[in-house]
Amino acid sequence: MKKKYAFRVLAMLASAVMLMGLVTGCGSPASSATSASAFSVSSESSDFDPSADWDSIVKAARGTTVNFYGWGGDEDRNEYLGTTVAKALKDQYDITLNVVGMDIDQILSQLSGEKQAGTQTGTIDMIWINGENFRSARENGLLFGPFAQYLPSYQKGVDPADTENQTDFGYPIDGYEAPYGKAQMVLIDDSARTPETPASAQELLAFAQKYPGRVTYPAPPDFTGSAFVRNIVYELCGYQQFQTMEADKETLRAAVEPAMEYLRQLNPYLWNQGKTFPSTSGEVENMFLDGELVLNMSYSPYTVSTGIAKGTYPATARTFLLDNGTIGNTNYIAIACDAPNKAGAMVVINYILSAEGQLSQYQALRTIPVLSGKLLSQEEKDAFGAVELGEGVLTQEELLSKRLPEMPSALVPLLEQIWLEEVVGK
Amino acid sequence: MLRPLQRRKLRRRLAPYLLSLPAAALVILFLAGLVSGLVQSFGYIPAFGLREWTLKYYRAVFADGALAASVRLSLWISAASTVLSAVLGTVLCAALVRMQGRNGAALQIVRVPIQVPHTVAALFTLSIFSQSGLLSRILERAGALAAQGGFPNLISGPSGGGILLAYVWKEAPFVAYFVLALMQSVSRRLDEAAATLGASPVRTFFSVTLPLSAPAILRASLIIFAFSFGAYELPFLLGATSPKALPVQAYIEYINPDLKHRPYAMALNGVILLLTLALAAAFFAVTERTAKKLGGGHEA
Repeated sequence: MKKKYAFRVLAMLASAVMLMGLVTGCGSPASSATSASAFSVSSESSDFDPSADWDSIVKAARGTTVNFYGWGGDEDRNEYLGTTVAKALKDQYDITLNVVGMDIDQILSQLSGEKQAGTQTGTIDMIWINGENFRSARENGLLFGPFAQYLPSYQKGVDPADTENQTDFGYPIDGYEAPYGKAQMVLIDDSARTPETPASAQELLAFAQKYPGRVTYPAPPDFTGSAFVRNIVYELCGYQQFQTMEADKETLRAAVEPAMEYLRQLNPYLWNQGKTFPSTSGEVENMFLDGELVLNMSYSPYTVSTGIAKGTYPATARTFLLDNGTIGNTNYIAIACDAPNKAGAMVVINYILSAEGQLSQYQALRTIPVLSGKLLSQEEKDAFGAVELGEGVLTQEELLSKRLPEMPSALVPLLEQIWLEEVVGK
Repeated sequence: MLRPLQRRKLRRRLAPYLLSLPAAALVILFLAGLVSGLVQSFGYIPAFGLREWTLKYYRAVFADGALAASVRLSLWISAASTVLSAVLGTVLCAALVRMQGRNGAALQIVRVPIQVPHTVAALFTLSIFSQSGLLSRILERAGALAAQGGFPNLISGPSGGGILLAYVWKEAPFVAYFVLALMQSVSRRLDEAAATLGASPVRTFFSVTLPLSAPAILRASLIIFAFSFGAYELPFLLGATSPKALPVQAYIEYINPDLKHRPYAMALNGVILLLTLALAAAFFAVTERTAKKLGGGHEA
């Protein structure tokens, strides 16, 4: 009995001491941060000058490894980066590209954790980022820059006057990220099942009434579902007023009321009478391919052609837009503030942004290039034009002619909450 | 130096502490994560510039009307699935005990749901019971339904039917397995004695076997209750858009791009922790009383 008692007391004392150590450790990160920075050697990357002579940057990057962190859920893109891009970088610059799939919230958590610990060199070099996440990263000082304007490809091919190169979801870029690819929201249906293509909010309502229970959209905060709701808001409330609106929930609620009223009217004709929605765009796509739904939506405008080529989509599937336009955005690459290889990151981003890089991305993934047609040479333009888009999709000109800007990022989470409160089950 | 006998005595004294070090290390890791989350829930995250200890995030969580609905849903899912699993699991266990020695194949089958991960269980439920699933298509082929849409929405209704189905499929075999050893030993020792005193098999089960197996059943119930209360996959994959179960809501708040929103997510986690601890304590009190009533400490 005595032994048991002694053991219990000792165990409790030990855990109490260790817990105390943890709490005080958590409680004084300021002191640990200063001690960490006092001891850490200031590496050359903290003195890296992005405006230095380009050849010296390429020379510094030769033979190094660059870590590219971003969303890993797209198999085709992972393969493209791991084979085509990695090979080109190795051949031309002797750089080893290491692609790591990680969700953006985890990337930002890791960076802020490294910042809290006072780390000078972390593990993340390049980050695939845009929108609210870019704004959050900038406000918390997690990114390195400005660097974009020093890239030769940027100076050569990117149009600085284009709003998507100046602001990201309404937040100024200031050279802290370089454009990577463009995306645009499109609607998809199967002409064999539904001869109509609803190109406006009213037509969509009639469409849903004609095919009750077979139309729906993914629930926000899914990226595609959120974009669909924003598109409806633009349809019914115009888009200009949101570009300069302040991020106040009640102001926004009043401004989007017509759109919420429309969505409530739409509910009874939706799948499950609008009482519940699929939680991801993947589910909506599966249900569309299964025949349960007659309408699909996607941020990748060439989903249908790649789908038909793979055999997952029916040959009669087709892509269409709303007459008033659909939302398009650009996604970007940024450099982490504690990146161990900033020179290498700049060289890789420069390649991706070059005509060669954008062309190979267009060929492999059908991602809309970010380079301006005005600034390309004739043979570059011909090379882009020669890429076979496949069936059931729209040309670049058609997409870009009906393209609307994104809403400022601060409004997006508010809109998602308003949708949840005003529309679901109503 | 110590003589051989003294050395052996020292080793015997130290052995428990040394042997428990690996387990202690794991527990410390777990506690470290928990404490870190709790610290963040009080608003203290220097890396994001939040330095004041405050209760405002907890107040915000409680002021939010949607939270009450989430708590109710989580409690309902956990309670309903635990009760159903406990009942079905006990019945299953009784059946296995009766089969006595011829239950090898049955045991293997019972083991399968325990080994299947929750995500895969969700996939099964969706493939079979969703409106475009196997059951719906069979019924449609047999002419029992008008179109694929005619099949009722069992899965993502607000009552969480699909989630309950998947949980019960996974947890009932777990309860059966957990209680099997105890029930077999009770049965072996006392079945004959009860029979000689004139009890029918049913009477024996309800008056003798079940009460004596109760501590193990209750412990298994506590495990599955605590797990289902805090688990994410099934409510996410099979749940309705609104209300969302507590862990799903906590994750949505966690991935909010505004990093200063993080303490709110951690406060939700704190609420989950608090409720789970309270329920565990209540369970513990109940089981201690049951164990004392039966004459002290029948270990599982």
